[in-house]
Amino acid sequence: MNLSDATEIRDAVRSRKVKATEVVSSLVARAKAANAKLNAFHEILEEDAMRQAAAVDAAVAAGRDPGPMAGVPVAVKDNIATHEGHTTCSSRMLENYRSPFDATCVERLRAAGAVVMGKTNLDEFAMGSSSEHCAWGPVRNPWDQARVPGGSSGGSAAAAAAAICGVALGSDTGGSIRQPASLCGCVGFKPTYGRVSRYGLVAFGSSLDQIGPLARTVRDAALTYAVMAGADPRDSTSAQRPVEDPLQDLERPIEGLRVGVPTQYMSDANDPRVNTLIQSSLDRLRGAGASIVPVELPLTDVGISTYYVIAPAEASANLARFDGIRYGHRAPARAGQSLDDLYAESRAQGFGPEVQRRIMLGTYVLSAGYYDAYYGRALKVRRRIKAEFDRAFETCDVIAGPASPTPAFRPGELSDPLQMYLCDVYTVNTNIAGIPGVSVPIGFVEDGGTRLPVGLHLQAPAMADARLLRAARMVESLHASACVSAPI
Amino acid sequence: MSVASPAIRSTRLIVGLEIHVELRTRSKMFTRAPNPAHPEFEGREPNELVDPLVAALPGTLPVMNRRAVEMSALVGLALHCTIAKRCRWDRKNYFYPDLPKGYQISQYDQPLCADGFFDLPLAGGVKRIGIIRAHLEEDTGKLGHELPGGFHYDGSLVDLNRAGTPLLEIVTAPDFTSADEVVAFAQELRNLCRFLGVSEGVMQKGHMRFEPNVNMAITLEDGTEIRTPVVEVKNLNSFRAVKGAIEHETVRQVEAWKRDGRVMGRGMKATRGWDDVKCETVLQREKEDAHDYRYFPDPDLVPVEIDEAWLARLRAELPEPPLARRARYVKDYGLAAIDAENLTAERDDCLWFEACVAAAGGGAKAGFAIGKLLRNTGAKWANERGVALSALGVKPERVSELFALREANTVGPQAADQLFGLLCDGDAPVQELAERHGLLQVRDDAALERWCDEAIVAQPQAAADVRAGKLAAIGRIVGAAMKASGGKADAKTLNEMLLRKLKP
Repeated sequence: MNLSDATEIRDAVRSRKVKATEVVSSLVARAKAANAKLNAFHEILEEDAMRQAAAVDAAVAAGRDPGPMAGVPVAVKDNIATHEGHTTCSSRMLENYRSPFDATCVERLRAAGAVVMGKTNLDEFAMGSSSEHCAWGPVRNPWDQARVPGGSSGGSAAAAAAAICGVALGSDTGGSIRQPASLCGCVGFKPTYGRVSRYGLVAFGSSLDQIGPLARTVRDAALTYAVMAGADPRDSTSAQRPVEDPLQDLERPIEGLRVGVPTQYMSDANDPRVNTLIQSSLDRLRGAGASIVPVELPLTDVGISTYYVIAPAEASANLARFDGIRYGHRAPARAGQSLDDLYAESRAQGFGPEVQRRIMLGTYVLSAGYYDAYYGRALKVRRRIKAEFDRAFETCDVIAGPASPTPAFRPGELSDPLQMYLCDVYTVNTNIAGIPGVSVPIGFVEDGGTRLPVGLHLQAPAMADARLLRAARMVESLHASACVSAPI
Repeated sequence: MSVASPAIRSTRLIVGLEIHVELRTRSKMFTRAPNPAHPEFEGREPNELVDPLVAALPGTLPVMNRRAVEMSALVGLALHCTIAKRCRWDRKNYFYPDLPKGYQISQYDQPLCADGFFDLPLAGGVKRIGIIRAHLEEDTGKLGHELPGGFHYDGSLVDLNRAGTPLLEIVTAPDFTSADEVVAFAQELRNLCRFLGVSEGVMQKGHMRFEPNVNMAITLEDGTEIRTPVVEVKNLNSFRAVKGAIEHETVRQVEAWKRDGRVMGRGMKATRGWDDVKCETVLQREKEDAHDYRYFPDPDLVPVEIDEAWLARLRAELPEPPLARRARYVKDYGLAAIDAENLTAERDDCLWFEACVAAAGGGAKAGFAIGKLLRNTGAKWANERGVALSALGVKPERVSELFALREANTVGPQAADQLFGLLCDGDAPVQELAERHGLLQVRDDAALERWCDEAIVAQPQAAADVRAGKLAAIGRIVGAAMKASGGKADAKTLNEMLLRKLKP
């Protein structure tokens, strides 16, 4: 049995072919060994996981329904609250922080029989695209440990790709699920904004944040999403509309699928090997009966600037609660320390440089006299970007392109923050528009003797999550050789 | 050195008022944690009313309390405001230990209620006070330096019980021209909020806090008018403090202008506090707009949409305001203004009074008589027992029975008073009580004759006076006869009988 296939685990546990405790103990053993090389997990919660697994086994033994994810070990990004273990956001600020509650998505996964096996590393507070900026050390790419896994959900992407978890959870504010999924060679799905409750997700950019799965297969991503999705009274921004079951027609290809390809996406600035892979994937889709439709998204370029006004503005307020007063890092008391000193010192010590940079950026754009020029203007551009997608979707069902302009890069390679920000050029607008996006592995580029995965990024209109996953499943089926776990 | 300033011809006070009202919802503004402004949860130990959201734990999200919005809209309707069809929530950013999230959720440029007024009754007539806006926000926690048991602590302690309590901020136009007007308005507003059931309105508990914005218009001898810088006096929680602070500013600002010549303008607004001991305002912060709160729409909350149906339900829920009731008591019942004012001073008493009148079948006669009864007898007993009129335990039906017995002249005023006292001790049909305690009016002529004869004997001088034609002296003899009857006789009957006996 494939221990990293959630659906297989679920079926085996439900039919009593294997016990959940056996699944957990072997996967935990594998994760521990691999983690020494990857640093994907900050914490592997073996005891808690075994206890949850035993409860699943007890349910099976008692003839009770153990749920649609019975015995599936889940790796949870460490910015999603779990009442077991820590919730650190890979930040010194929250080094010892434990949440007294589970995020809604975690609660729903547990109720479905899933087992929280550990917490994965990220770029501090989900701010980054390489998972280098993690207080507990950089995460490494399972295909080439000399490279980054992407970010910010790098730990979850590495764990899913290296098959050391059943499925993993990530959060995506500007590409943080899809870009690392592309760089690590797994499926990464960001649902429509509001589809999965944000309750329990440590907020970064509240109007952009969305929780989603990273998995070996589209089917597992769809299963995890189906369990998590749906309105939550604890999140006012969660969508009230009933969730369309993504598993129902998943295996049935969409007839006459119209794949929109924005001319702006196949840019010369991309790694040419990436463009070649994307092109060949589109050719395969056409061969399978899809039509490829050119579309225009001229605002693709301004996405990054818009994003780097909106996200930091929201973050500057969201992160204000980390003040050293009630919990989290507090600077040591010293003579003559004023209240303002205490705040400044606690935050300077607790937050890393990228987090501080974004807080300052956000504080600046919201300042009196600058609001209209930056934040107000960004909101206007945001509406235009949404409208542009609406127009594009009039002629196509999904929009395709690269998830990342390059395959995995080396740590330190993008030391200029602005260069790092450009990693998300094809993914930020998805969040700005609030629509769903998914990255599916379509092949590898050869680089210095190693194979580096590349993903195809698909986007669909808001609430068309089931359609998007069906299209992703079609792509996956056309690239069976690309959908393999990393050789760790 | 003092600046030479031209002579002052006259000064005029200008005051606008900001009022913070803690709403008495069961749960807080954006979470289920209990609200200390609700009587059931007041006076709890520090940090007892805290949940993950109140403590601003990471991952928590606010969810709007609909009832708080409804209560605010009720106040808005009562103040003749326009209720926004759609309004949103904004974050007001600043750091302080009593503000757990590092921002306060408030309403910046889209308040729930706007453009209203309040007709304030004053000695010289009604004055219309403009209401600029009323918006909803969350209260902060409190900082203290005292450990449980009253021991001093050498640092700051944070109590988050109050953090997140729904707070309605009402802003008036600068329409007040004296401290007394402001106080009169503040009292009426408090009463209104209590009648609407949106706040307990206990000043000592901080349920209502007032912040007057004060400045002076000074007219000089040459006819030019200048205005002194606006001062906002923060956090006044007694009417006495409101009056004191405004009166102090009235003098202080003119003196300050004579000294420094500073006038109203951008960046000139200062914030002052009230020293209850010295009875003066003290400077807290100069140049108010140095603060940049970086307001922006809260992405965690969806805008509030109030449709016509919701508004109609609220309108239906709106009780008659106390001032309208007061006017009705005077006009319909013929009660004196002072009595009407008194009967509307406390919501529970007022509602109880109306229940009594209703039990008596309503109408001017019942309204007037019961109003008088409660103002005299009722108030006396309430005072004696140290409780509110409505808390005496007397059922409205009994008051109505008492009213009926008095109307029929079956009991006298003294007996009515005693009966009311008896009703406070235990419920019983009033007729039965009167019989049991021998309080029914006596109509037995023989007994009346005997009491009159005894009274004439007891008051020989008065009797002689009456016989000599000094009719005013009859009162003393009536009193004596009444005393002899133990209050059971009817004074009018005694009077007639005595006159008959003493007429030459």
